[in-house]
Amino acid sequence: MDAVFRGCAYGAALLVLTVLVGIIGSIVYGGLPAFREFGVGFLTSSVWNVGTEQYGALVAVIGTVMSALLALLIGVPVSLGIAIYLTQLCPGWARKPVAMTIELLAAVPSIIYGMWGLFIFAPLFARFVEIPISNVVEGLPIVGTVLYARIPSGVGVLTAGIILAIMIVPFVASIARDMLDQIPTILRESAYGVGCTTWEVTRFVLIRHASVSIIGAIMLGLGRALGETMAVTFVVGNANRLSASIFDPGSTIASRIANEFNEADGMQLNALMALGCILFVITFIVLIAARILTSRVRVA
Amino acid sequence: MSHAAATAAAEPLMQPSAKAGADTKAPVRIAVKGLNFYYGQFHGLKDINLNFHDRQVTALIGPSGCGKSTLLRTFNRIYSLYPEQRAEGEILLDGVNILDSKVDLNDLRARVGMVFQKPTPFPMSIYDNVAFGIRLYEKLPKSELDDRVEASLRKAALWDEVKDKLKQSGMGLSGGQQQRLCIARTVAQRPEVILFDEPTSALDPISTGRIEELIEQLRDEFTIAIVTHNMQQAARISQFTAFMYLGELIEFSQTEKMFMNPTERRTQDYITGRFG
Repeated sequence: MDAVFRGCAYGAALLVLTVLVGIIGSIVYGGLPAFREFGVGFLTSSVWNVGTEQYGALVAVIGTVMSALLALLIGVPVSLGIAIYLTQLCPGWARKPVAMTIELLAAVPSIIYGMWGLFIFAPLFARFVEIPISNVVEGLPIVGTVLYARIPSGVGVLTAGIILAIMIVPFVASIARDMLDQIPTILRESAYGVGCTTWEVTRFVLIRHASVSIIGAIMLGLGRALGETMAVTFVVGNANRLSASIFDPGSTIASRIANEFNEADGMQLNALMALGCILFVITFIVLIAARILTSRVRVA
Repeated sequence: MSHAAATAAAEPLMQPSAKAGADTKAPVRIAVKGLNFYYGQFHGLKDINLNFHDRQVTALIGPSGCGKSTLLRTFNRIYSLYPEQRAEGEILLDGVNILDSKVDLNDLRARVGMVFQKPTPFPMSIYDNVAFGIRLYEKLPKSELDDRVEASLRKAALWDEVKDKLKQSGMGLSGGQQQRLCIARTVAQRPEVILFDEPTSALDPISTGRIEELIEQLRDEFTIAIVTHNMQQAARISQFTAFMYLGELIEFSQTEKMFMNPTERRTQDYITGRFG
């Protein structure tokens, strides 16, 4: 009996490893022709032309990283705010309903976010944010470029970032909340005991105490934002154009693959596979960075 | 204190051994008057009347759940973090009722410091742990802050052990050192009163001994209230002792008298280990 049990457990563990190696292997194999054909140029070129069979990943890579970072920039403060509210400020009776609502956000399928983002959010965003801001900043240095929409359509890298932010908030918030909940009562009391206000207790003691886990939660959110496909494909604009403005349409790796896999063959398919490899590498780097960051903080 | 009295008692009681006897003429620092305390519906403290004298150590003893920690936690109103807990009556700190809703809690907690059952270093360097409480209330130039931190660590008998690693995390110290760091942090704020809530319950005997010595020294400057499960500890370091049972104050007197010749039967039973 024990032998069977052992065998099953080993088998299950081995299966995961095999599947992972298989996936990575086949994607690398599929992407190899593109890497061979374009070399380093595949990373630095912003051309993506199916007609001339010229492919470069730059626009998609930048779009992926930008939209994910914007998502963090917007989503993390909100998530921390939620976690702090729920654990420190919220009256007991409101805790459950608020926490439930946030967890329900996580249950919304990404295609719903995409549809809502494209048909409802984007027009409003164009009308009430993009156009007014563009009018104000036009001609100004830096902000006149970064926050200027040539065609205020409502879709673009920032829109993708906002939708992604909504999608990662429930994850980051619920992990951060659990971590803040786990802080020993006595530590919290002793921070109040030296005369701290709630803000000071939270800022200097609780957040710092939970910082390792909060970084972990942020990295998890980042990983999710990098790979999210459906919702982003709806709202990112799917343009292969390098633009310094976050209002302008762009692409992410995932959205590019989702848009083109259907009719791709030959070199285009190889190029999409190569994009997949790059996404793999980026998420892998995030994972490693998370490990390094969390181990650093623990020592300090 | 006389040995004759101890041996003459019907039961062999604890030998009080605090270096200083009680100063019954010391002015009253905290006066508790008709204090009742509730956890929701539960009546946790029943009509407590008690005085804490200036620069004396007052020990609160009694079996678990008797309300001694609850009483201690009213003096800095830390209980008010929990909306279901409330206190009625009066606690006069230097004549001002701290249960009054107009009292500034942050200011109160700077005047009435607290050390907890387990060491609670904050997640920052040793230096910052001590400087933390000072920075909340005073803007001191760097050199003055350095002096205050050093003086506080000296008072907490920790300076020699940490002077070369002030920038290191406070979490890296041993349990006993962490507790002394917490004492330094409390002392640094120059409070009037220091509350100790079973400060040695998580420590080994040697660390416990050091903390007890420290409390004796701190008595020169601060009014001290200590909750302890350990009756020998109460006998060793306190000048006054209050015995509590089921939310009531059963007996309060000079430690010497309490341990040699208690008035109440229940006190004697508890001190001699018949229950609790």
